[in-house]
Amino acid sequence: MEVWLQLLVNGISIGAVYALFALGYTLVFSVLGVINFAHGAVFTCGAYFTYIFLGGVVGSNGLLAAQKLPVTFPLAIALVLAGLTAAMVGLLVETVAFKPLRRRGAEPLLYLITSLGAGVIIVNLIQLLMGAEAYALPSNILGSMPAVLALGHGLQIRTVQLLLLLVGGVTMLILNIWLNQSLSGKALQAVAEDATTARLLGINSGAMIQLAFAIASFLAGLSGGLVALSVNIGGPYFGISYGLKGLGVLVLGGLGSVPGAMLGGLIIGITEAFVPAKLSAYKDAVAFAFLFLVLIIRPQGLFGKPPIEKV
Amino acid sequence: MTIPLLELKKLGVRYGPLWGVRHLNLKVGAGECVALLGANGAGKSSTLKAISKLLPTMEGKILWSGNCLARCNTERSVKLGISHCPEGRRVLAQQTVLANLQLGAWIRRNKTEIRADLEYCYELFPRLAERRLQLAGSLSGGEQQMLAIARSLMAKPKLLLLDEPSLGLAPILVEELMQCLAKLNKTGLSMLLVEQNIYAALAIAQRGYVLEAGELVLEGNASDLYQNENLRRSYLGDKL
Repeated sequence: MEVWLQLLVNGISIGAVYALFALGYTLVFSVLGVINFAHGAVFTCGAYFTYIFLGGVVGSNGLLAAQKLPVTFPLAIALVLAGLTAAMVGLLVETVAFKPLRRRGAEPLLYLITSLGAGVIIVNLIQLLMGAEAYALPSNILGSMPAVLALGHGLQIRTVQLLLLLVGGVTMLILNIWLNQSLSGKALQAVAEDATTARLLGINSGAMIQLAFAIASFLAGLSGGLVALSVNIGGPYFGISYGLKGLGVLVLGGLGSVPGAMLGGLIIGITEAFVPAKLSAYKDAVAFAFLFLVLIIRPQGLFGKPPIEKV
Repeated sequence: MTIPLLELKKLGVRYGPLWGVRHLNLKVGAGECVALLGANGAGKSSTLKAISKLLPTMEGKILWSGNCLARCNTERSVKLGISHCPEGRRVLAQQTVLANLQLGAWIRRNKTEIRADLEYCYELFPRLAERRLQLAGSLSGGEQQMLAIARSLMAKPKLLLLDEPSLGLAPILVEELMQCLAKLNKTGLSMLLVEQNIYAALAIAQRGYVLEAGELVLEGNASDLYQNENLRRSYLGDKL
C-alpha cells in the first residue's frame, strides 16, 4: 500500500517539472504552429545558470575555468534569475532562428532545422565555456531544511521533490490565471487561435510571439534549474533526454493544449516512477511505450481536437 | 473641396502574376456609407484587405485623411481608426463573447470609455449581452456576425470596413442587420460595405462602386445604381 503511494509522490513531483517544461513547447506551438527544438537547450542553460547563480565554480575544462560569480544568491532568487536569463536566451533564439523565417513566410519544416541548429549551438557553447564535465549543485542550498521529510505512514518525500512540486504547481497556477484572466493572456490566445484576426484587432502578433518565447524559455530555465537540484547536471547534453520527454508530453497532451501539457507531464512522470528499480535503465522506454499506447487510442492526444477534414 | 477620410488612387493588388484589383479610384467621405459591389472574385475583399494592410499595395496609393499609408501595418491602421470586420465573421471561437469584445478594444487604454462602449454594443445587440459569458463558437451565425461587428466597433473606428456581413444569414436577419448598420452610420461612423446582397447594401449606402474582374465599371449615387440595368449584369455576369 505505502509503496505505490510513495511511487505516486515521486511521480507527481517529477511530473510537475515535466509539465512545466512541456508548457513551454505548448505555448510556442500554439502561437506559431511549430515546435521549438531549441527548447531542450534552453532547459540545459537554466540548469547551468542555476548552478552559477548559486555560487558554483566552473570546472577546469572550459574557457571559464575556475571562474565564479562574485555573489552567491539564495536558492529562490537563483532559480528566478536562471529563469529570466533563460528567457533572454529564448528571445535570442526567436530573433535568430524564427523571426527571419516568419518575415519571409517560410515553410514550417524550416523552423525545425533552424531551431535544431540553434539548440546545437547553445549546447556546444555551454561545452566550450563550462567544459563537458558533470556538475553537482552545492549541497547547502536547502539551508537548515532536512533533506528528507517524513509524511507519516512510512511515506517520505525529499525536500527537493517537495520543492519541485510546489514551484511547478504554483508556476502553472500563475500561468493559467494569466492566460485566462488577463487581457494580454487572452490576446496571446487570440494570436494562437487566429493570427490574422488578432492583427485586425490591433494585436501585434510579433510581440505576442516574443512574449510566448520569453515565457516558454522562462519555464524551461526554471524546470532546468529544478531538475538540476534533483539529479544534478550530467553534462551539456543532459537536456536532450528531457527535451525528448517534453515532446512526448506535448504530443500526449495534445499539440497546443495547456491543460493537456500539464496532465501529460504528470502522467509521464507517474508512469516513469512506477518502473521497477531494476529496470530503471528502461525508464524512458516505458514512458514512451505508454505514450504510443495512448496515441493508438487517441491520435490527437488527450486534449487535442481531432483534425477537421475540409472538403 | 474637403479631403475625404479614405481615398484610393489607382490602387493595384496582385496575387503572384494575377491582379486582384487594378486602377481602382475610390473615396469614402467622413460620415459616408459607401457600398462596394461586384460578383465573386471581382476584387472587393482584396480592396478591403489592401486598406487594412493584410495585403501589400503593389500600385497606387491609399490616402487616410490625405496622408499616404505606404509604410503602415495592420496594427497601426487599427490605431489610426480603420477597423476591418472580416469575411466569414472570424470570431475567436474559443473565447467568450465578452473576451472577444474586450480584445476588440485592445488598442485602447481608457477603461471608462471602453466600458461605456461595451454597454453601447450590448444595447445595439441585446443578444450579445445575454450571451456574454458563452464561448463565441457556440453562437449562431447571426449572433457571430453581430459579435464580429460589435468587436470592430470596440476599437472605436472612424471607418468600418465590412466584408459581406449578410453572408449566410436568414433574410429576416439581413434586414435587421442592415437597419443596425444604417443606425451606426447615422451616428457619424463612415463605412465601406462590401456586399453580395446588392440591393440591401444600396438601401443603406449613399454611394456605390461596382467592380468587375478587378476593375471599376460603375460608380454613382446609391439611388441611381439601384435602378441601373448594367449593375444587375455585372453582378450576375454577362453570360446570364
